[in-house]
Amino acid sequence: MTPTTRAELTRAVLAPPPEPVDESVRAGLRDQLVADVGPAVEHLPVGASLEISLPVLRRAGDRPDLLAGPEEAFVWKPLFVRRSLGLAVVRACLEGRYRSPGDAVEPVATDAVAEWHRTGWRTFHWEPWLSGLAEGARAVVLAEAVGWATALWAALDWSALPDDVQVGGPDDQWMCPAARTVRLRGRSDLRVRLSAGTPSSRGRAPAGSPTALLTVGGGLPGDRWPEELAYLALVGSLRSPTGAVPARVVGVWPEAGRHAVVDIDGAALTAAAGRVASTVSALVDARTLSPVPS
Amino acid sequence: MDVMERERIPGGLVPASPRAPSGVHTGPAIHRAPAPTTVPPPCAPQRRSVGAGPFPGGWQPLTGDALLERVRVTGRPRPPADPERAARLRRCIEDGMVPGDDDPPDPPPLHPGVDGSLPGRGHPLVVTKDRVTRVLACEAHHVAAEFGERTPTTALAVGALVDTLFRQLVTTGSIDDPMTDGLDGLSMDERQADLVAWIGRLPRTERDGVRAEVDRQAEELRNRWPRLDPVWLPRTQEVMRTRLVGGAVELSARVDLAVGRPEDDRSSVALIEVKSGTRRIEHRADLHFYALVATLRNPAPPFAVATYYTRTGELDVDPVTDELLAASARRTLAGIRRLRYLAAGAAAGRSPGAPCGPCAVLPGCAPGRRHTGAATVARGQAAIPTPAQRAR
Repeated sequence: MTPTTRAELTRAVLAPPPEPVDESVRAGLRDQLVADVGPAVEHLPVGASLEISLPVLRRAGDRPDLLAGPEEAFVWKPLFVRRSLGLAVVRACLEGRYRSPGDAVEPVATDAVAEWHRTGWRTFHWEPWLSGLAEGARAVVLAEAVGWATALWAALDWSALPDDVQVGGPDDQWMCPAARTVRLRGRSDLRVRLSAGTPSSRGRAPAGSPTALLTVGGGLPGDRWPEELAYLALVGSLRSPTGAVPARVVGVWPEAGRHAVVDIDGAALTAAAGRVASTVSALVDARTLSPVPS
Repeated sequence: MDVMERERIPGGLVPASPRAPSGVHTGPAIHRAPAPTTVPPPCAPQRRSVGAGPFPGGWQPLTGDALLERVRVTGRPRPPADPERAARLRRCIEDGMVPGDDDPPDPPPLHPGVDGSLPGRGHPLVVTKDRVTRVLACEAHHVAAEFGERTPTTALAVGALVDTLFRQLVTTGSIDDPMTDGLDGLSMDERQADLVAWIGRLPRTERDGVRAEVDRQAEELRNRWPRLDPVWLPRTQEVMRTRLVGGAVELSARVDLAVGRPEDDRSSVALIEVKSGTRRIEHRADLHFYALVATLRNPAPPFAVATYYTRTGELDVDPVTDELLAASARRTLAGIRRLRYLAAGAAAGRSPGAPCGPCAVLPGCAPGRRHTGAATVARGQAAIPTPAQRAR
């Protein structure tokens, strides 16, 4: 991987899609996952549940010792806000409401809190927490979001992307039919519909077009980034048996200035499914072998 | 063309004329006296009176657009993107890590990802500006700082608070009550929990001293620091990382401020470090380390690196050149080699010098005591951790 230029990354996202994955591959993977995961989670207590996400996948691969530790109670931190606020900021810039993330962050955050006050509806979930922060603490949250959003905003040539690029949006989820709840969650930061043969044309791709997913990662890419990127396509394809299988996943690591691309085929999805199965096994081992806290 | 160059600075200042190629400096230490080459005493807030400038008469710090202009116009052409430049720098470091005749005996094996690096085998040797500077100054000081108990100081507290306030000012454009805002901001970072608690336990007089200095520096920041157009994409605490030797070494940096939209074909970004303490010669090397990491990470190097001293308003600006980057690569290589030997269990050498004053192991370090003229010998105090202790 070489330093990422804006032009290269944009071309990588918009390159013509590979051959679509055959439906039988998707069905076969689903069956295989059910067969692998189902028996493994039967060792867990009744009522237990597992959630697999990209961070969990990475932890199981890099630091399996951490899986055995007690789960920390959730506490809001700037780290947990920066992506969702950052995505909202990028969206606002893309809509032409603001010139840059630095311009957008304050009004976007203020509007979100005001909307929550007005309706009680939490679009981002962090509104009450942000609302209660003192000025100095709030500034840190905004600064983190500006940094995150700027990395994404500066990484791509947005004028070359189709009009209907989706910034953020709900996570892809798939519940594995098993004796215990096993949920696969995939979080993509951009979804770009691809038009075969016109990689740089602006406009809308036809409905049902293949999609490229883009995810922004922290730190440096790990050794197993191909499986990790393909995992997002796996969840995206399992989520809806009739929707198109994502054609490509692009990973961007702003801290490292690097990007990587996985064109999705049967082999990539199979590798990702294997990683899911091994992660579930590692989690089950960690939960069943770790001593019960006194 | 990047926005910092294309767009007029608010206020329409005439760009400064090209200056001497060795760098741009604003501050009396360059124009009136040589920069200190030894560690000055730690920032002592209680000795500074609010509003009293350190340089009475004559020199005045730059403010607002003039300050920004000084960073923006370096007098040097901005270097174009050149993949070969980054490859050359990378080779300089990686090839230099092959053991030579003048190396200590039994050098550690160099296998990517599995050499004897910190904190355990299989993890990369993470190299930061502080580690390079410390280990090159004195290996024992580095080991003590890395593995020993860290005691906060008022200078450290002021530095952390001012860094937080600077970030707030850049992001929101305002600071309310500096001490309150600073502590609130610092409390958001788990890594600073010990420092925040330590500040909370300070006796009233010392805490008032910290508050007075933070108030003073925040006021100077408000008065001097320019408003950055958001179109220049200012971002704070930007993390940069790059791997070398197949992942065995990771260069890591966190710069206080990056300004300028990164461009594919040429330099468009300036990196700015903020310091609340006294100007020190090592800070220049820190800047050059940032430039090196950014050059290895991005398609194009930054066009300038700068240190802004919030206490005095001094500003050091270095245009980034191939010579600067090559020198930084050589220095970084020297640091990496020493860090690797220490990580492999080598005994830490002692090099009395600038770091001795605040060094935690000074009481147990005879060369350091001789250097500083310390009169008393305190055996057994703050010993340098042994290789075995470091391994634990």
